Amino acid sequence: MSWRPVKAVVGREMSKLFRQRARLISSMVRPMIWLLVIGSGVGSMLQGAEQEGYLTFLVPGILAMTLLFAALLSALTLVYDKEFGVMRMMMIAPIAHYWIVLAKLIAATLTAMVQAILLLILLLLMGLVSVKIALALLLPALLTAVCCAAIGGLIAVWSKSIDNFAVIMNFFIFPVFFLSGALYPVNQLPEYLHYIVAVNPFSYGVDLLKHAVPNVATDFSVMMDISVLVGFSSLAIVLACWQFSRESVHAPLFHRLGKK
Amino acid sequence: MASNLAIKTQGLTKQYGQALAVNNLDLEIEAGQFYGLLGPNGAGKSTTIHMLTTMTVPTSGEAWIAGQQVSADPVAIRRAVGLVFQDSALDRTMSIDENLQFAAAMYNLPPAEANTRIDELLSVFGLQEKRKQKLVALSGGQRRAVDIARGVLHKPKVLFLDEPTIGLDLPNRRSIWRFVEQLRRNEGMTVFLTTHYLEEAAACDHVDFIQQGQLQQGGKPKELTQNLAAYILEVNTPKPENVIEQLRPLFGLPIQEDEDLSFKIAADDVDFHQLQQTLGESISSMQWRKPNLNDIYLWTFCSPEQGQKK
Repeated sequence: MSWRPVKAVVGREMSKLFRQRARLISSMVRPMIWLLVIGSGVGSMLQGAEQEGYLTFLVPGILAMTLLFAALLSALTLVYDKEFGVMRMMMIAPIAHYWIVLAKLIAATLTAMVQAILLLILLLLMGLVSVKIALALLLPALLTAVCCAAIGGLIAVWSKSIDNFAVIMNFFIFPVFFLSGALYPVNQLPEYLHYIVAVNPFSYGVDLLKHAVPNVATDFSVMMDISVLVGFSSLAIVLACWQFSRESVHAPLFHRLGKK
Repeated sequence: MASNLAIKTQGLTKQYGQALAVNNLDLEIEAGQFYGLLGPNGAGKSTTIHMLTTMTVPTSGEAWIAGQQVSADPVAIRRAVGLVFQDSALDRTMSIDENLQFAAAMYNLPPAEANTRIDELLSVFGLQEKRKQKLVALSGGQRRAVDIARGVLHKPKVLFLDEPTIGLDLPNRRSIWRFVEQLRRNEGMTVFLTTHYLEEAAACDHVDFIQQGQLQQGGKPKELTQNLAAYILEVNTPKPENVIEQLRPLFGLPIQEDEDLSFKIAADDVDFHQLQQTLGESISSMQWRKPNLNDIYLWTFCSPEQGQKK
């Protein structure tokens, strides 16, 4: 196995990322809205030091949000490429088909990291994080990015068309985000939601990011976070590769009878 | 198996639910041949190609490409074949160059080698000037040409062309065929073609007809047409029943499409002028000509015994 095809798939995504500057800029708008609108809005209900604390609390949360949206949307290009035929160019290439998934997930991870780094630079300029904290956030961000890409990969290999997009947003991205402790401490949620947070792998990414920021309360230990992230990501990637290698997944690409 | 076979299949079958897309297909295609698989839409042509190129797994049976068992090592098979899909596989948002560079990298061609190859192919297709242009700026024929170039970047042993000229106008179809001919001459690859523009298959060394997943008759296009009949007689008449009654004892049943009748005539010494006078007022027009592949197709799939023209 040579790396050239993998590099080509990753390179294609990267050149698209930097070519679509509007997409890159808009990806910075979402976390800024959360930070400035929600952060200040909710923060204004709090008192003094708490107010300051909520903005700091939000830093790992909005970083995690950026990683989640970027990695998930990037992994979903697996579905876009299927829809627009480009997938055939990859399918006919002399590489095992799971490499297509792996390459796409590497690209999704890198895309998420590019956006996370951009956001960290913005936060640095706004004085919300120090250089030390920004650097400390990089490794947790990477593990979270891999986890989000893996979630995206799982969704992508099981969805038939981009028509499912709204469904994906409502049923996956929002619940995964809101039930993760990214916006509020988990212990303030009703108890039954604790269980959902605990089975949501993204929660552990958020928690690991929180560990990198001083004076932010965390819910799990660093070891626990890393174990869950690594364990879940490995399992999800293997599962996505397996599903993608099954022929029936691609039948609609090649045969009208397979669409039934 | 004999080593000079580019493609061999044994009992190749694909079933989608209850539907048999391809039924027990046995093929032997020699290396270097220009082979045509012809048949109506949904006959199983594309499914056959997809099984031979590892895009679809057969329900049963086996296939070999250049001596290699298809199911044993799909990656090696994909290295040995080129496939031009019925619908474009290119990224419309990228330029010709970006598309071909990407495809070349997928075939693990080093950049320098890829560049030379892309130059070479684009000059065959007369597209060198447009190399940096976005795909959306190209005509349908030019896009198809880029698709074909993509399929042969890695110099495959066997090139599969699935309806390569579908949706193209006549000049574009002609130029696509010129390119394919040139590629065959330059690189000596085996070409496996499906099309339903039958006149385009006349250049094939061998054609087979397929219907409902099953191989019908096949052979060299010239022999097939010679064996079908000496002449095809086409008659347009307001009273088809009368004309059929009159000519049936001589030529057998025609293929009928409303007022158009098409008879196949085995004897090559029929006096058509005499016949025209005999039929006289009962016909509006008549013409006779040598048979072509379209006639083979019609007489295979729509012969009077099988019912009316579909």
